[in-house]
Amino acid sequence: MSPYRTLARRLKGERRRVALRSTLVQAVWNYDSLQAIGFGWAILPGLERIRPDVGERAKRLEAHLETFNANPYLASVAMGVALRMEEEIARGAAGAERRLARLLRALRGSLGAIGDDLFWASWRPALGIAAALAALVTGSVWPAVVYVLAWNALAQGVRAAGVRAGFAAGAGVARVLEDPFWAGARRGARRGGAFAAGAAFGAGVAWSASAGGGWGGVAIFFAIVALVWLAGTRVGSRGRLLPPAFAFLVVVVILGAIHHWTGGTLP
Amino acid sequence: MTGAEAGALTALGALVFLDQWPAVQTMVSRPIVVGPIVGAILGAPADGVLWGAVLESISLAVQPVGAARYPDAALAGLLGTVAALTGAGEGGFPAAWAVSVAVAAGAVGDGVGRFQRRWNGRTAAVVRARVAEGSLAAPGRGIAIALSRGAALGALQTATGLGIIATGGALLAGSPWAGQLDARALQVAAAAMAAVAGVRVLGLGGRRTTAAVLGALAGFALVAWGGTP
Repeated sequence: MSPYRTLARRLKGERRRVALRSTLVQAVWNYDSLQAIGFGWAILPGLERIRPDVGERAKRLEAHLETFNANPYLASVAMGVALRMEEEIARGAAGAERRLARLLRALRGSLGAIGDDLFWASWRPALGIAAALAALVTGSVWPAVVYVLAWNALAQGVRAAGVRAGFAAGAGVARVLEDPFWAGARRGARRGGAFAAGAAFGAGVAWSASAGGGWGGVAIFFAIVALVWLAGTRVGSRGRLLPPAFAFLVVVVILGAIHHWTGGTLP
Repeated sequence: MTGAEAGALTALGALVFLDQWPAVQTMVSRPIVVGPIVGAILGAPADGVLWGAVLESISLAVQPVGAARYPDAALAGLLGTVAALTGAGEGGFPAAWAVSVAVAAGAVGDGVGRFQRRWNGRTAAVVRARVAEGSLAAPGRGIAIALSRGAALGALQTATGLGIIATGGALLAGSPWAGQLDARALQVAAAAMAAVAGVRVLGLGGRRTTAAVLGALAGFALVAWGGTP
């Protein structure tokens, strides 16, 4: 059996515990050390196994409490890398400590960029549009249930797999970041989200046309689209953003007034 | 609203505060999920689903990237839905009232979140000092303290919001704005919001444009010939 497989088997239970603890990586998020406290606490089960001596373990833990930040779901990759490199440090590998510090610094930016782009800028808006539209169309609670299940299938799956992948890759973690899975998942989410956004537009046109006013209703729908679009555009000389929520509030007030004056329906 | 309902909503406020960023992030704190839960608690599940979808559409474009400031979608979803559901019963102007409450709650929740992060900074400093002295239990204790504080802040801001909603709802009752926006108008406004947010956040171009056009045809056909509640 290869040295890696022996090591992976020895730390199998600890890696699971690290993955579980990674769910609290942001618990003590702060403007100074960012996610570092959560990161240190998460890898502690692995450190316990690697460093039986309490004093040495505390020293290594302290090194991990300085500063760390990444996308919360992908932080587990860095945890896996840290465990693998900690084992090398414990074996006395030359320069391993310096290499780990450098790697974690580099990973902060990469894991943040990949994770934020996948989860916050692609997966969540895509799922949110689809679920919101499905809820509006069906009036059922099921879109919300499917939303939570679909999100967690990806997000918690990445969390669990991240420790394993980071641990297997160690200093060669670049190959995890270059995996086509990230680009594929992002592309798929964005295409699905574009389909859902288009469907929301089509549904809006159909609803406004059927609300009793025909073309008048459709014109109101286009006016709403134009207003919330403009609200998302930088306005004013200082480039401030007019929050779309305020635009929505204006829309609701106008629609309410129309509703009030016309006695119950859109014109 | 009964005491039991207020208690359940306050507990929900604590839970969604934690889910939003300090713990697990399962997205049960999103308005699309919080709305139906609030609806179930207040005995109006269908209205909860509608308002959850509406408030989700407002929050779609918000992205918690890095240390960016962003509105608290969880509190906005919770209190916005409560305002909509209780406002309807009191004859106020529930749609505008609910969206106003949601927008204000989002801003206040952002402030509370930043307060929690600053307070976490002091907790983190204590944890680091203890670990330097050799305590391995300090990070775990720090996390327990931060989570407890987060839950307490979430419950407190929700309870305060419920009080404000009750007062505001009573003041609006019987006003010239009496009457409510019908569900169809809300559907139209939310669909516009979702479509715009989708294009802005996800962008168009290449196959995404094709997907959006196909989606528009499918959405139109679904509603025009499929019928909706």
